[in-house]
Amino acid sequence: MSPHASTEMAPDLRKQRRWGETAIHALLFLFATLSILTTAGIVIVLFSQALRFFARPEVNLWAFLTDSAWQPQIDRFGIMVLVIATLITSVIAMIVAIPLGMMIAIYLSEYASPRTRNTLKPILEVLAGIPTVVYGYFALTFMTPLLQGIIGKDVVEIFNVAAAGIVIGILILPLVTSMAEDALSAVPDLLREAAYGLGATRLETALKVVTPAALSGLAAAFIVAVSRAIGETMIVAIAAGAGPRNFDSWSDAFHNLAIFNPFKAAETMTGHIVRISGGDISYESIDYDSLFAIGLTLFLITFALNLISRRVVKRFREVY
Amino acid sequence: MKRILAVLVLLLLAALTLACSEQQTPVDEARQQQLAQIVIAYGQTLTSAEPCAPCDGTSAAPGQVQLPPVNPRQVTGDIIAAGSSTVFPLAERMAERFRAEGYTGNITIDSIGSGAGFERFCTAGETDISNASRPIKEKEIENCRKIGREPVEFRVGTDALAVVVNPENDWVENLSMEELAAAFATAETWSDIHPNWPDQPIQRFIPGTDSGTFDYFVEEVFDKDPEPILSTSHLQMSEDDNVLVQGVEGSKYAIGFFGYAFYGENQERLKVLAIEGVIPSREHVDDGSYPLARPLFMYSAPTIMQARPQVAAFLNFVLTYVNDEIVDVGYFPASDEALNQSRQNWLDVMGMKRP
Repeated sequence: MSPHASTEMAPDLRKQRRWGETAIHALLFLFATLSILTTAGIVIVLFSQALRFFARPEVNLWAFLTDSAWQPQIDRFGIMVLVIATLITSVIAMIVAIPLGMMIAIYLSEYASPRTRNTLKPILEVLAGIPTVVYGYFALTFMTPLLQGIIGKDVVEIFNVAAAGIVIGILILPLVTSMAEDALSAVPDLLREAAYGLGATRLETALKVVTPAALSGLAAAFIVAVSRAIGETMIVAIAAGAGPRNFDSWSDAFHNLAIFNPFKAAETMTGHIVRISGGDISYESIDYDSLFAIGLTLFLITFALNLISRRVVKRFREVY
Repeated sequence: MKRILAVLVLLLLAALTLACSEQQTPVDEARQQQLAQIVIAYGQTLTSAEPCAPCDGTSAAPGQVQLPPVNPRQVTGDIIAAGSSTVFPLAERMAERFRAEGYTGNITIDSIGSGAGFERFCTAGETDISNASRPIKEKEIENCRKIGREPVEFRVGTDALAVVVNPENDWVENLSMEELAAAFATAETWSDIHPNWPDQPIQRFIPGTDSGTFDYFVEEVFDKDPEPILSTSHLQMSEDDNVLVQGVEGSKYAIGFFGYAFYGENQERLKVLAIEGVIPSREHVDDGSYPLARPLFMYSAPTIMQARPQVAAFLNFVLTYVNDEIVDVGYFPASDEALNQSRQNWLDVMGMKRP
């Protein structure tokens, strides 16, 4: 448009443009509120339905937190057996994913040439594109027999927490690597050059200068990964077991640390939800209401983790 | 300028979508007409069939209730069934045959457990047929009546529960009912049942609490009280029988149970036990000596069968041909009396006399 034309049409155009602007503005605002409303809706449904569970005469909060078995049909509501199973799978997953992910990230950001990095990173990200149900059967049909071969068939059960945990670790590996690598790359080269100037080797630079400087980003990466591991469903549903690891009492549970044995079957919170809801359960039943109590617990745990992650990021942020 | 255009395009799109959705109405009307025609066609088949009953060349054994023949080619409209995972393979097989003989509509059959099936049939009212491996409960009948459905029972066959162990298990061949109860509840290790058996924890793999199989087992073995079986440790429950097979196959000290058909499919991976000295087989189910045999049902309601002729047609088809298929699926035929009663129920619902 020539400047002449624009001055001529200016008042008219400005008016129309504002109208279009407003429409798009409103549309975008609508979408933004929609996502917030969805979140709010989920939280409200979770809370209200979970409240129905706790309002039942046979349920009490103390038993919910302290009982050593979860079997709602016979009035046993000890959420801790499910929570502990979730924690075991997540811890195993982190034991696999953090060291491996850190090593890969350090290699990619500090050692690899840009060309290697540009080929390796997308390949690693392919792992993130594999459906979790495939990982689930990978755990059941590959990882479990492998563990049984190494440790012995009498020790490792067909459904076990260890295989599920290891495979969750593989699942979250790309996530950990990618976020950790971003954090490491974001450290300014100035620091590296200073370290080299002082005579540090590459390894010393990577471990003693770059890693501490990227701590806040790394911590955030790990916490996001933990949240992902806790929320992972398909793998545990297929490979970890189809029943909570119940005990008559906590002394039974801690006898030989039976409750922490990773080679036996257990059911995590997510695994339990997917199994129970898979059968189209009756709406009025205690099983149905109990799902929301588990969902709420799960939500509170991941929510707390997210809060911690924000704190950590703020606390350790280094500004250059 | 571009923005205005974009907004205009958006508006145009929205208008188009609206117009399109309006256009759908005539399509629906056409479908309604089609349905009406089907209903008429179906009625004609019935009336034309009825006078022929005496001149029927392929007359069956005396005393057998005959249903008016159905031509699947003339049946259209969808059928929705859900329920027992035990009845599922049988229902699926009958649906396949129904399709093979010319039915062109959709039959959906969901395998969700008997309880959940009745939930969808009686409370949500979403299904036409509810498959079940146990009789309907009083509470469920009440729920059904609340939404104007009077459930009608059609016995389609008999199943036996197979109690299975790992093929490597060389110490058990037979369990008495008491030992069975111990194996699934009170005993912690195999040696708790019998001192000569291994001192290893029993791994239990059982169908979930929503399944008719679980209900039936609890009723027969634990006198309707699920507490003992649910309060055991080493308990794995799944509505998916494949999970149970995987579990028993994968652990030497496992025990599990499920419908006989599922054992039939996995015979070489599992070892079946005799109960009270009787192994599950056609012979022992027919003569009633196998203690864990149970009836299989399909439920529907007169309101559904009369309003949706395709449902009545399918049930008719099932009741006519089920005995051709049932053994192949892995179950046992229902007794003649039970099957005749089902056919009579069908005739009663459709307001027809016994030909």
